[in-house]
Amino acid sequence: MPALFSEGFLLGLSTGFYCLASCLPLLAPYLMAEGKALWKFNFFIFLQFTGGRFAAYMLFALLASLAGRAGQYALPAWALPAGLLGCGLVMAALAIFRVSGASFCLLHRDFSPFFKRLPLALGFVTGINICPPFAAGFLRLMELADIVKGFVYFIGFFASTSLFISPVLLGTPWLGRRANEIGRLTLLLAGLWYIVLGLQGLL
Amino acid sequence: MEETGSQKLRAAEAGIFSLAVFLPVFILSAHIGERELSRAYPLAWSLFAAAAAFAIAYTGRVSFYRRIFFSVSALAFLAHFKLSLFSRIFEASCFKDTPFCHIAIAPNFLNYLYQQYLAFMSGGWKLWGPLTLGAAWIFITLAIGRAWCSWACFYGGIDDGLSALPRRPLLKGGSWALKLRDLPAALLAFMLLVSFAYTLPVYCLWLCPFKLTDVFMDAGAATHRLQYALMALALAALVIGPLLTKKRVFCSYLCPFAAWQAFWGRVNPFRITVDREHCSGCLVCATACPMTAIKCGPDGRPEVLPYCNLCGECLGACPSGGFRYTLLGLDLPAAGPAARLLTAQNFFVFSALTLGAVFSSLWAPAALRDVVKLLAGGN
Repeated sequence: MPALFSEGFLLGLSTGFYCLASCLPLLAPYLMAEGKALWKFNFFIFLQFTGGRFAAYMLFALLASLAGRAGQYALPAWALPAGLLGCGLVMAALAIFRVSGASFCLLHRDFSPFFKRLPLALGFVTGINICPPFAAGFLRLMELADIVKGFVYFIGFFASTSLFISPVLLGTPWLGRRANEIGRLTLLLAGLWYIVLGLQGLL
Repeated sequence: MEETGSQKLRAAEAGIFSLAVFLPVFILSAHIGERELSRAYPLAWSLFAAAAAFAIAYTGRVSFYRRIFFSVSALAFLAHFKLSLFSRIFEASCFKDTPFCHIAIAPNFLNYLYQQYLAFMSGGWKLWGPLTLGAAWIFITLAIGRAWCSWACFYGGIDDGLSALPRRPLLKGGSWALKLRDLPAALLAFMLLVSFAYTLPVYCLWLCPFKLTDVFMDAGAATHRLQYALMALALAALVIGPLLTKKRVFCSYLCPFAAWQAFWGRVNPFRITVDREHCSGCLVCATACPMTAIKCGPDGRPEVLPYCNLCGECLGACPSGGFRYTLLGLDLPAAGPAARLLTAQNFFVFSALTLGAVFSSLWAPAALRDVVKLLAGGN
């Protein structure tokens, strides 16, 4: 098991830069939009996001192991574009509906009780947003075809890739109201971008 | 009699000011083009810049004469670089290559840093480039900051010139004009992240209205069509938008470099300052501002946003003369015989006009030569 953890960890460590590039367009606009000039608050958002990612990784570890047991050794072609589309829809919806304050709104609606869980959801859709390092790990799990081993492998992968993503918090203590407004628009643009990419892959 | 004397004094001061602009512009533009151009072309360009300087200093109408200079510079760029892609008459350059597009600097900055990191770490440190392009950008930002967008940008001149053509706006943005004013900043943040994630110049591929070829666009038919549609949208914002709204639509809402420069340009000390005592709160300035960079503040008085690029339009528009150029909100002390010359406005106009004219020496004298050759029936 330690060997499998190390294998996943090393995969994440060697490809973490790619993970960072894939996750930044989702996490950075969200932090900009919803973050405050309070480090603890932003860290809590980051933790929820990371929790969502972790849940997605574990789900995929389970699915990959089950698929491997069933003799399925390839990802379905629609998985990546569907992941992108899901990401895009969540981000665009978030930018449009989760608005607060009087100065800038796309739509004057606030669904705060539900949307308090959004970093978690966003982390989850980021997790299912399959990037090449993730796909490499996924294929390895299909080959292993063992649920527990799959969990251990992806925990290692998750731990090392999270190291690459965490520096995104460094810029957040300077966030203000204008940065929030810019963040919301960025989130909308990034959401539309992922929707286009997702639809392009699916159609 | 007294008025004639005053006019003569003003003309003399304007003459000194225009000479101060002419000398550095001529020396540097002659040096830039010396390998390919006759000195007559840089001389003509320098005289044009000096004439603009004289007119600004003599009349005090900053934005009007700035716009003439700025639009001519942009037209010269279009003629020399863009039309040279189609025509043999317009030669490919005085510099052989097109200048690096400054708009691309901003959205690709993370990619650029990463490339420099790779070059540095792989031992190819001789390829390390920040000392050239980066130094030029730092110098420009320190010298004129956000004013780049209204005095030197070879694309902004198109938008600016077109926005001055209609007498009245046919379309008004209303409250959405200010609500979406942060769009370029969002676009910049998005482009920085996505360009970095895909290691592609996403802005250039998807949105740039200035490209004349599509060979580097996506090969997929649907994506290709979408890229064309967005490019057409950006082109409409550049050409049709200003004609309909009297605003610089592309520069205000779609240019990531404008947002970039609005952020970094704060290190430059020149500012447009509102004199609260003179201000009646009529907000004519907010309507006149082509960049939508003035909004109504909480006290009903105008508030200049960080997107102001010091074009000077509000100075002319304000009926009570409530706007002025300052250094970090302060005026220079008025003392001594040259007090009228040594003002914040003159220092700013000198910096912006000289830098704009020297920078446009990369193409404007060559464009003049192209036109002369065309008129002379050359091929």
